[in-house]
Amino acid sequence: MSAIAQNVTRRRKSRLGARLRISAGVIACFLFLFPLLWMVLTSFKEQRDIFTMPPTLFFTPTLESYVTYLQRPDIWRRLVNTVIVAVGSGVLSIVAGAMAGYALARIRLRGAGTIGLLIVLSRGVPPIALAVPMFLVARKLGLTDKHITLILAYCTFLIPYVMWLMRGFFLSLPKELEESAMIDGCSRFGAFFKIIVPISLPGLLSTMIFSMILAWEELLFALVLTNRNASTIPVAIQGIAGDTINGANWAALTAVGTITVLPVIVFAMLVQKWLVQGLADGATKG
Amino acid sequence: MVNERLTSAHPTHSRLARKFADLVSRWAFMVPAAVLLLAVLAYPIFYTIEISFSRFDLATFSAVEWVGWENYAHVLDDYRFWESMKVTVVYLVFALPLQIVLGFGIAFLINAEWRGRNIVRALFIIPMVVAPVVAGGLWRMILDPLWGIVNYVLGLVGLGPLDWFGDPTLAMAALIIIDTWRWTPFVILTATAALLALPRDVFEAAEIDGANWWAKLWSITLPLLVPIIAATFVVRWLGAVKMFDIALAATYGGPGGATNVINLFIYEEAFRSLRFAESAAMAVIILVVTMVLTAIFLRGSRLLEERY
Repeated sequence: MSAIAQNVTRRRKSRLGARLRISAGVIACFLFLFPLLWMVLTSFKEQRDIFTMPPTLFFTPTLESYVTYLQRPDIWRRLVNTVIVAVGSGVLSIVAGAMAGYALARIRLRGAGTIGLLIVLSRGVPPIALAVPMFLVARKLGLTDKHITLILAYCTFLIPYVMWLMRGFFLSLPKELEESAMIDGCSRFGAFFKIIVPISLPGLLSTMIFSMILAWEELLFALVLTNRNASTIPVAIQGIAGDTINGANWAALTAVGTITVLPVIVFAMLVQKWLVQGLADGATKG
Repeated sequence: MVNERLTSAHPTHSRLARKFADLVSRWAFMVPAAVLLLAVLAYPIFYTIEISFSRFDLATFSAVEWVGWENYAHVLDDYRFWESMKVTVVYLVFALPLQIVLGFGIAFLINAEWRGRNIVRALFIIPMVVAPVVAGGLWRMILDPLWGIVNYVLGLVGLGPLDWFGDPTLAMAALIIIDTWRWTPFVILTATAALLALPRDVFEAAEIDGANWWAKLWSITLPLLVPIIAATFVVRWLGAVKMFDIALAATYGGPGGATNVINLFIYEEAFRSLRFAESAAMAVIILVVTMVLTAIFLRGSRLLEERY
């Protein structure tokens, strides 16, 4: 009987422990979300509500910041540019990367091991080592400030990323799928596009969305390779945050920042399950 | 007879053709990625190496004359390069372990079995997808010495006011805090997945043997997690050596170069001071150092994986 009693107290104790653990985790989660909430909140404040001490939680929300900064034509152009570049590089890298990932996973190629190693190592290449020559070459070829330049530049990190992720994904598919298709007279291409691509669609789409997010947020190449026509939204945010002459314009920063971040969060939530899975695989198999 | 020769020649010919076609169809999958990566990844790297050994002529904007190791000698003589390297090392040495410990710790906390677990896990994705430049800008606001909410809260408990961006040590702390804010969620997510994948029966057996939670954590969970911790470290390392956006947006390398990480320094040297040859030399040095360290870390993580 004493053993049972002991067991009961122990279980109660562990339940209390679990509750403590969970509350600590929830508090941590809130702390991590708070800066973002604060940014969104600030974006709805008037100038005089932004600069008050103590900081105010209760204020009359206004869309003033959004109205002011979305009227600036350059913000619109940048948003459009960022969409073009993100979609362009996302599509290009998923097509090239998924095919190459499939080749690494399923087709026996001489030197596949070396290619795999090179891909992993390429993730260690600092972008600044590419930005300098890219800038010089783009200048020489008259390709600065063009969308295509940025799209190609983003391929340097997106294609290896997609290749690696999709390689892992294709490895997890049963081999019989395309084998039976090829026995039935399908070519390798036919088997890939008619059998493999359709069943991999969720994985492909999620990987593409994540690639687009990476392109959407990229700053260094955008700073270096564009100046007016093809410049993207991160460059604008850098300009606002780094304005040391007038001091950072918090209304602009928070409004443009919120516009930048919100669509990404929506997309990330759409693919979150896959994202977590991909992260785990990327860490354990990569 | 002619006919006979033709028919006998035909099989070998078609076998060759089929073999060739097969080879083409095999490599065809690799070609788009290979061509693109050769053009935008391999070629620029070789071009950087070429510039790093040349005199760079700003009038024609090209590398004109082979000068051997001269640019490298300049760079290695430049105390600002070493300062920047030091700053980068300090950032890496503090940020990476902090993120790993914090990430696995929080993952351990939220991993209890309860209904909200999946929601909390999904919410942790959010800081991770905030553009680094936005993260830098928004923390600049939060840490503002006069109007920032952090100093207000610190003031409530009698601390501060702290001049986050005016004091060299605090500026580095700010950089580490911002980076940790954005990247710890990544570690948390990897860690929760890893914790979920741990074999349950081992824990049950340990419980029957009367192990308390500390014993379980120390002698079962941690050893089982070692390979994942190592792998997470490598992935984080690969991201952290590219630190640029947050430093540019939050501190602009300041005050007085206290947060001038190497990528920012090279960027400034190349695109503000137009010293392309020296920048290229620095870029090559960083490239080599990163590659060597990455190879070592990968090797190490493989070894740990085999041992545990």
